[in-house]
Amino acid sequence: MAVQAVAGATPEPAARPEAVAARRSWFAGLRSAKTITGLAILGVFVVAGAFGPMVWRTDPSALSDDVLQPPSGAHWFGTTQTGQDIFAQVLVGTRVSLLVGVTAAVMATVLSLIVGLTAGYVGGLTDELLSALANVFLVIPALPLVVVLAGYLPTRGSLTVAVVISLTGWSWGARILRAQTLSIRRRDFIEAARATGERPARILLFEILPNEMAIVASSFLFTIVFAILTQAGLAFLGLSDVTTWSWGGILYWAQNNQALQSGAWWWFVPPGLCIALIGTALAFVNFGIDEYVNPRLRVRGFHPRKSRRVRRTAPKQVVQDAGAAGDVLLEVTGLRVDYGDGPNAVHAVDGVDLVLRRGEVLGVAGESGSGKSTLAYAITRLLRPPGQVVAGEIRYWPTSAGPVDVLKMSDAELRAFRWAQLAIVFQSAMNSLNPVLRLREQLGDALIDHGPGMTPGQRQKRIAEVMTMVGLPTDRADAYPHELSGGMRQRALIAMALVLEPDILVLDEPTTALDVVVQRQILTKIMNLREQLGFAVVFITHDLSLLIEVADRIAVMYAGRIIETSTAKQLYEAPRHPYSDGLLHSFPLLHGPRRVLTGIPGAPPDLRLRSAGCAFQPRCTQAMAACTTTIPLLSATNLPTEAPDHQVACLLYQDGEGR
Amino acid sequence: MRYLARRFAFYVVTAWAALTLNFLIPRLMPGDPVQALLSRFRGRLDPRATEALTAMFGLNDESMWSQYRTYLVDLTKGDFGLSFTFFPTPVSTVILDSLLWTIVLVGVSTVVSFAVGTLLGIVAGWRRGTRWDHLLPITTFFSSIPYFWFGLIVLFVLSGELRLFPLAGGYSSWLSVDFSWPFLSSAFKHAVLPGLTIVVASVAGWLIPMRNMMVTTMSDDYVVLAEAKGLSPRRVMLNYAARNAILPSVATFTMSLGFVVGGAVLTEIVFSYPGIGNTLYQAVINEDFPLMQGIFLIITFVVLLANFLADLVYVWLDPRTRVEA
Repeated sequence: MAVQAVAGATPEPAARPEAVAARRSWFAGLRSAKTITGLAILGVFVVAGAFGPMVWRTDPSALSDDVLQPPSGAHWFGTTQTGQDIFAQVLVGTRVSLLVGVTAAVMATVLSLIVGLTAGYVGGLTDELLSALANVFLVIPALPLVVVLAGYLPTRGSLTVAVVISLTGWSWGARILRAQTLSIRRRDFIEAARATGERPARILLFEILPNEMAIVASSFLFTIVFAILTQAGLAFLGLSDVTTWSWGGILYWAQNNQALQSGAWWWFVPPGLCIALIGTALAFVNFGIDEYVNPRLRVRGFHPRKSRRVRRTAPKQVVQDAGAAGDVLLEVTGLRVDYGDGPNAVHAVDGVDLVLRRGEVLGVAGESGSGKSTLAYAITRLLRPPGQVVAGEIRYWPTSAGPVDVLKMSDAELRAFRWAQLAIVFQSAMNSLNPVLRLREQLGDALIDHGPGMTPGQRQKRIAEVMTMVGLPTDRADAYPHELSGGMRQRALIAMALVLEPDILVLDEPTTALDVVVQRQILTKIMNLREQLGFAVVFITHDLSLLIEVADRIAVMYAGRIIETSTAKQLYEAPRHPYSDGLLHSFPLLHGPRRVLTGIPGAPPDLRLRSAGCAFQPRCTQAMAACTTTIPLLSATNLPTEAPDHQVACLLYQDGEGR
Repeated sequence: MRYLARRFAFYVVTAWAALTLNFLIPRLMPGDPVQALLSRFRGRLDPRATEALTAMFGLNDESMWSQYRTYLVDLTKGDFGLSFTFFPTPVSTVILDSLLWTIVLVGVSTVVSFAVGTLLGIVAGWRRGTRWDHLLPITTFFSSIPYFWFGLIVLFVLSGELRLFPLAGGYSSWLSVDFSWPFLSSAFKHAVLPGLTIVVASVAGWLIPMRNMMVTTMSDDYVVLAEAKGLSPRRVMLNYAARNAILPSVATFTMSLGFVVGGAVLTEIVFSYPGIGNTLYQAVINEDFPLMQGIFLIITFVVLLANFLADLVYVWLDPRTRVEA
């Protein structure tokens, strides 16, 4: 039905039921300076409206001889043309305007809850009809409708006005609540409640509603502002009872008595300022709610353009000059990445050393949460706050010159380095493509920004070339991402990565979202292209058995550290670390003999809890006493027959305190 | 083009709903307002006006259904009845005289406000965490100011005290309404302050959602990838982040436009602008029910049309809506 067409604009339904995270972010929202300011201003108005008229006992309607007096000690806001005290009027006005606002908002919110929850929960024809109703009311301009309604009203008291306003102001809330209810209804815990035969009313009130409180609150506050502004407008036009003092009513009298023209700004300015202030205050509180509902708004200092210099906490380690060998392309030394600052910082990558040689495939394996993706983001300098590189070097060795530290590049150098030397393929192809640009444009823009000398014809030729290379029909260049299949999207991303012939291709779980057949096709394609074009690959995946097949060397990550590194062959034949051994036996091999799958007991570690010893120790079947106190370092094993480049971080293979 | 067809169908339904609402309001209002009006004005109102009112609001003994039919038939002929403020001018003529003023004033101010708000929102989102963040509280404050209050202060200071702009009206009264230079420049001068009022009060309505959508979009994978591609910051900001972040702004154009139209009605009244909002006010204070209802319908129709234009823009901006299915 047509009415759903604009529903895509509703806020991200991110209010999840996970209590801990929610509570923490709720406090974060409260802590923001704007929210506090908003609540403070709101508090002042509520107190003024509730108690003001009792304390400042001047009758707002009483006439006196102090005609048109500017503000003074006796009359804080001055007096009107008939000597009425404006401060008293504003105090009563606060009470009236807030009451009208809150009453209208309560009624409108109840209406929008009834309509929104019913439409979202019941669905079907009821949903179609109720949504249509809400959308119709949303499109019909509210103020003219209110004015017309008020024009017919025989009496225009505050309550009547509030009713009229609520009748025109419920539709927005109803629409976003419907969208939210729809999305919550599809969640597992609601499905479970329905399956156990809970009554719909109970599910709505106790399961769905609590998850919508943020949105209800936000739309409630928003409606208060709408109602106060509308009431003020009506009163100003003389369309509501102007003998009750409201902010709009004061403005009506001020305007009719030419307050501004006679220089009596004190009569005209305060009520308007009050309206603007209360509107601002409520909007500020809503900012806090927005940040609660949409966590992405919460991160401060997001701007990624400023290059973040690496803070060096430890003295620079002495590294042997690996580049001297001549074939080193990328060398990561002592890389540490934290999420957050201070003592609560999570060390997602904790002192990683890696070497990538020209043309080789380096596999990085690990479970989710092992820090492997963070490593990819750090190498490409794409980390977003709160993630930050706190130590280490990432040295890139161009063919002609000495090494450059990627972490120290200026913004312009970094832009030039990206894609031309190092390209990346993310795991989710759908999300990685810009949904509103044709493939041609997304393939071509890197050519424009990196190679200014190219003619449009040359660019088109290059685009066709890379598309053919990855096996995409060239006529798909004018397609939008949503018109492509999953496999085609992944191919498009790979084509995009190859467009500038980079030295390094980082693949971050490039095939997880695809079915096995397509996975295999794409992997074979990448490996063939590598042989053809000679780029080096950093292949990041949880699938160690896959790496055994395609990688030259493999690094296994656990809890932010590399715990074993060696050639693929050695690792397959003789995995040393108990964790690698477990990983290797938790996936079936795509080729080769059948094996018994064992898996690893336990769950990946919580990186927020640092242990004094080996991070894998709690899950390790071969743990010793020393494992709880000593963090093993990556080094060659004590096995005499072992190749020197097979390094393990495990006390089982180290001489010394462990034995 | 199924998307547009669905939207169009929705607007037809909405238009019908507005028509029906318009028909029902005077008949369902408590206290029989039309009857009350007639008895209040007995003898003072032109008998022909009384007759017209009686027929129009069904005070003769016709059934509701046949009244509704007559009402719809009259509307298709553009017959909104006679205004009795400007008796015996037909309501349609009164509306036509003022409609163009409003469409130009509100149309131009809305486009300017949308453009300025969206651009500032893009930059404020892109540069979040910098001084641009201060734009938020400032524009929030301006958007909470009642249009009419701000309009009156602007009018008092800039026209009254500094005499930079005319005090009231849509053009200098000695000029004839044509497309001559003196008339157009006078009309422009008269439109500056009302337009400014609308822009200042409505700009935050575009800026803040746009900024928040920018921030949200900037952590989407395709924006991160655009950055990884080493594209120029301008291209990442405009073609990747803003190009997607603007979609919800266009999709919620409906609601924002509703506020602008409401505010514009009040603004016109303050500036005595010869537009339809001011005419609505005249109608309401004179209890000119036919004119009131005619204006409400016309405003609704124009808003529907504007929304349909926004839908066209949306289809142009988002290829996913163009799926043939």
